[in-house]
Amino acid sequence: MSMFKYLAERFEFRIFLVVIALVILGIVSVYSASYDAQASEIFFKQLVWAALGVGVLLLCAFVPFRILHLSAYPAYALSIALLVGVLLFGRTVSGSTSWFNLGTLRFQPSEFAKVTTALALAAYLSRPDVTLAKVKHLFVVAGMVLLPVLLIMAQPDTGTAVIYVVMLFPVLYWGGASKFTLLAIVAPGVVAVAALLGTTPFFIVVIGMGILLYLTRENRIVTAAVFSLMVLVGISTQSIYEGLKPYQQKRIAAFLDPSVDPLGAGYNVVQSKVAIGSGGLLGKGYLQGTQTQLNFIPEQWTDFIFCVPAEEFGFLGAATVLVLFALLLLRGIAIGTAVKSPFASFVAIGICGFIGAHVLINIGMSLDLLPVIGIPLPFLSYGGSALLSGMMMMGILMNLYANRKEH
Amino acid sequence: MNVIEDISVYRKRRTLFVVVLLVFFLFFGRLYQLQLIYKDEYGRRSEKNIVRVISTEPVRGYMYDRTGTRVVDNRPAFTVTIMPFEFDRGTAPNLARLLSLDLEVLLERLEKGKMYSRFTPVKIKRDVDFKSLSALAEQRDRFPGVGYQSESKRFYPTRARATHILGYTKEISEQQLQLLGKEYAQGDVVGSTGLEAQYEKALRGAKGHQFSIVNAYGQVLGSFEEGNLDVLPKEGKDLILTMDFALQAVAESLMADQRGALVALDPRDGGILALVSMPDYDLSLFSGVTPPGVWRRLHSDTAAPLFNRATMTRYPPGSTFKMVLALAALDNHIVSPSWRVNCTGVFYVGRKPFADLHVHGSVNMVEAIQKSCNVYFYELMMRTGLDNWHQSGRAFGFGQRTGIDLYEENTGLLPSTAYMNQRYGEKGWTRGYLPSLAIGQGELGVTPLQMAYYAMAIANRGVTHQPHAVQAIIDRAMSREDRLSYETRSMDIRPELWEPIREGMRRVVEEPGGTGGLARIAGIPSGGKTGTAQNPHGPDHAWFVGFAPLEEPEIAIAVLVENAGFGGTRAAPIAGACMERYLHAASIRRQAEQPAVPIASVSTLPTTRAVYRSEQP
Repeated sequence: MSMFKYLAERFEFRIFLVVIALVILGIVSVYSASYDAQASEIFFKQLVWAALGVGVLLLCAFVPFRILHLSAYPAYALSIALLVGVLLFGRTVSGSTSWFNLGTLRFQPSEFAKVTTALALAAYLSRPDVTLAKVKHLFVVAGMVLLPVLLIMAQPDTGTAVIYVVMLFPVLYWGGASKFTLLAIVAPGVVAVAALLGTTPFFIVVIGMGILLYLTRENRIVTAAVFSLMVLVGISTQSIYEGLKPYQQKRIAAFLDPSVDPLGAGYNVVQSKVAIGSGGLLGKGYLQGTQTQLNFIPEQWTDFIFCVPAEEFGFLGAATVLVLFALLLLRGIAIGTAVKSPFASFVAIGICGFIGAHVLINIGMSLDLLPVIGIPLPFLSYGGSALLSGMMMMGILMNLYANRKEH
Repeated sequence: MNVIEDISVYRKRRTLFVVVLLVFFLFFGRLYQLQLIYKDEYGRRSEKNIVRVISTEPVRGYMYDRTGTRVVDNRPAFTVTIMPFEFDRGTAPNLARLLSLDLEVLLERLEKGKMYSRFTPVKIKRDVDFKSLSALAEQRDRFPGVGYQSESKRFYPTRARATHILGYTKEISEQQLQLLGKEYAQGDVVGSTGLEAQYEKALRGAKGHQFSIVNAYGQVLGSFEEGNLDVLPKEGKDLILTMDFALQAVAESLMADQRGALVALDPRDGGILALVSMPDYDLSLFSGVTPPGVWRRLHSDTAAPLFNRATMTRYPPGSTFKMVLALAALDNHIVSPSWRVNCTGVFYVGRKPFADLHVHGSVNMVEAIQKSCNVYFYELMMRTGLDNWHQSGRAFGFGQRTGIDLYEENTGLLPSTAYMNQRYGEKGWTRGYLPSLAIGQGELGVTPLQMAYYAMAIANRGVTHQPHAVQAIIDRAMSREDRLSYETRSMDIRPELWEPIREGMRRVVEEPGGTGGLARIAGIPSGGKTGTAQNPHGPDHAWFVGFAPLEEPEIAIAVLVENAGFGGTRAAPIAGACMERYLHAASIRRQAEQPAVPIASVSTLPTTRAVYRSEQP
C-alpha cells in the first residue's frame, strides 16, 4: 500500500480541511474584531491556541482507537472532578467561576467536559444491554448529562449548560428513543416559553402538545404524568419569571421584542443585525466594517464573532461560514453510519450534537432568531479552551473515520 | 445495543440530515433577508451609528446706535460640564457646593447625560459666575472630568436699558420650536421680543455643522469624509439703529419711577431716537439663565413691566388730539382760522353740559390751541361732524399701525360713524357723544408711538415717514451694508392750513398763557400741545406731543405719564428736557462735523472675530 493510499484510507481530509478553513476564518475575524483594541494580545493568543489546537487535533486523530473507548469513563470522571474543583478553587471572570489559571493561560473545564461527556454517553449507550426503552437506562443517560449541567449551572454559565441539553436530543434519537420520550423532554420547555408570551399561546401550545403526547403515547400513567408536569411547569413559569432578577427578565423581554430596550439587553442583537445587514452582498471590506471596527457590538470577538465576516465580507462571507459548518455536520453524521463500532457511531453523533448546538444557538442569536445566550461559535470565536475542545472533537471524529472498520 | 446492524440507522441519518439542512436553509433565508433585501435600511442605520452631527452656534449679531456706539454686545458665558467617563463620583458633593448647586440636581443631570454617552460632556450648570469658575480652575486636579464650555450671551454695555425696543433673547420654548421649525433645536437661544424678535433672522446667522465619526462610546475619532461636508457657522448680521442712546438714557432717567411711555423720532426720516416704556427691567436678567423667581416676579407685577406701553397702550389722548379736529374743520372749509367762539366755561348739547376748566372768553383757533379751550372745540366738532373728524384722524395715522419695525404694535381705536353704528346701533348714539371726542376723550385709543407720528406730521406740514428703529443691516462676512428703505407719505392738505395749527402749538410752549410752557427750550423755538386725559381708573394721564426746532425740526416727541395729572406740568417738562438735550448734543456733533453713522465703528471688530474670519477659506 502506497503512502498516499494509506493516508487517503486513514486520514479524513474533508473534516480536516473544513476545520482548518474555519480556524483560519476565525483568526482573520478575531484579528479584525480586536484590531485597534488589544489587537496584538488577543490575536497573538488566538494564533497560539490555533497552533496548539492543530496539534491536539492530530494527537486525537492518531491516538489508538481502543484507548479512546477505554478512557471514556475515566476521562468523564476526571472532567467531573475538574468541574467540582473549579467551583472550589476556580477564578471568577465576569461573575462566573469557570476558569482554572495555568500560568498565563486559562482553562475552562466545562469545555473539556463536552468531549468526555460525548465519549461517556457513547460508551454507555453502545453497551449491548442498554436500551432506551427502559426507563432506568434513560435515567442513567439523563443523569450523565445532568451531572455536568448542574455543576456548570452552579458556576453559573447557563449558556454552556443549555448546549449539553440540546446535544442530548440527537444522541437519544440516535439511540432509538421513542418519539414520546423526545417529546416528553421537549414539552415542558416549549410550554414554558409559550407561557411567557401570554395566556393564549400558552393554552394553544398546551393543547397542541397534549394531542401530540396522546398520539405518541406508550403508557397512560406516564403520559398523564408528563402532561401534568408540562402544565405545572407552564403555570409556574409566570411566577418564576417574576422571581427572576430584573436583568434576567429584561433579557427575556428583549428576546421577545428587541426593540423594547435597544440600549439594554436588546442592544447587542440590534447592533448585530445592523452589522450583518449593512454588509450586503460583498461586505464593506476587510477591516472596513464600521460596526466591528468602532466597537458597536459588544463581545464581538467571542459571542458575536459571526458579525465580523458578515459585515466585512457580506453575504458571501457569512454564507461561506454557514456552508463550512453544514459540510462539517453532514460529514460528521455520515461518519456516524460509516463506522462499524457502535461506540464510534454514538461518539460521532454526540460530537455533531455539541457542534450543531453551538452553531444553532450562536448564529441563531446573531441573526435574531434565538435569544441571546452567551456561547462561542466553534473555531471562530476567540477563546482557547473552546477552540481546543472543538479541535479535540474534530480529531476524534477523524480518528473514528480512520478506524471505521474496527468494532 | 448495536446501532450499526439496525437498518433504521439510515432512516435516522436521513432525518438528521434533513434537520441540519432545514436549520441552515433557515439561516440562509435570514441572511438573504438581512443582507440583500434590507441592506439599504441597515446600511443607513450603520452610517447613522457612526456619524454624529455637531452643530456649532453662530455668534449673534451686534446692534449699534446712530452714533456708532455698540449697544448690544455678546459676552462669553461659561457652562460647567462633566465627562462621565472621567468623573469621580466622590467629588460630586464638593463640586455641587462649589457651584452652589443641589447635589441631587447635579447627579440627576450626570445620570441623564451618561445614558447618552459616557464620553460626551454633560452640561451641569450654565452661566457660571467667574468666581466659581476660577475656584474650579485652581482645583482642577481635584475634579477629574470636570471642564467648561464657552458660550455667548447678550451683554448690554450702555447706561440706557432700552428694554422694550431691544427686546430679550431666551432659550427657545416648546411652542417656538414647533413654530420656527427645523433650523432650531432644543437649547437654542431665540429673540423673543422687540428688535431681537423682529430681526431674528438677520441677527441669528446660520448654524454650522460638523460631521464626525464616533465609536460606540461616542468618542470622536475624526472628521467624516475629511470634513468636506462640514459647514461653518454664518455669523449673525449687525443692526445699525436710528436710536441715540445718549438721548435714550436721558429719557429713561426722566421717566424713572413713573408709569408711562416716551417716543422720540427724527421727523426727517422717521427713525426712532428714543423709546421708553416704564416700568422697565434689566434685559441682562434674560441673557444667562433666568431664575424662575425673576420670571414669575416680572409676570405677576401689577405695573406690567413686560408690557410695551409705547406701542401697545390704548389710552385717550386728551387735548393733544385737538389739532386733528382743527385740521378737519379747515380742510373741509367748515370755518376759517379767524372764526371765533365765546367761551363761557360750559357748553350744552341739548341739556347736557360739557365743562371747560377756565372761562376763556372769545378765542380764535390759534388761541384755542394755545389755551386748550374745550368750548371752542366742542362747538367746532358739532359743525365739523364725526365723518370729517374721522377722516382727518385717519390721515394722521390713528386707528392703524404705523408700521414700525417692532415686534408688537396696537392699532388703537379711532371711532367712525360705521363703528358707532355697529357698537351702539344706528339709533343708539347721538351727537352728544361728539364733544368728548373733540377733546380727545371718550371712546378713543392711541399709542404714544402714534402720537409721536402725529407730532412728526405737524412738524413736517403733512409729510410722514414710516417709524423705524433700524436703518441698516451690516453683513460683516460679505462686507455689505444694506440700507433699509421706509415708506414716506404726504397728507393732501393745502400748505397754508398748517400755519394756524403750528402757530397755536408754538404759543403753547413759547407764549405766556400757553399750557406747555414747561417744555420750552432756551434759544430754540418749538411747538407742542399738552393733554390731560380723564381716566376712570384713577388720576388723569398726562400727555405732551411736540417738536423742535419749529422750522426744519429735528425731533418729534410724545410723552405719556400715567395717572400723573396735568400734561402741562408732568409731561411737558420731560419732553422739553429731552428735546433740549438732543438738540444740544446734535449741534455739538455738527460742529465737530462727524458723520451721523460712522461706518468706521463697524470695522473695529473684536480680535476673536477677526481671527475667526481668517479661518474661512
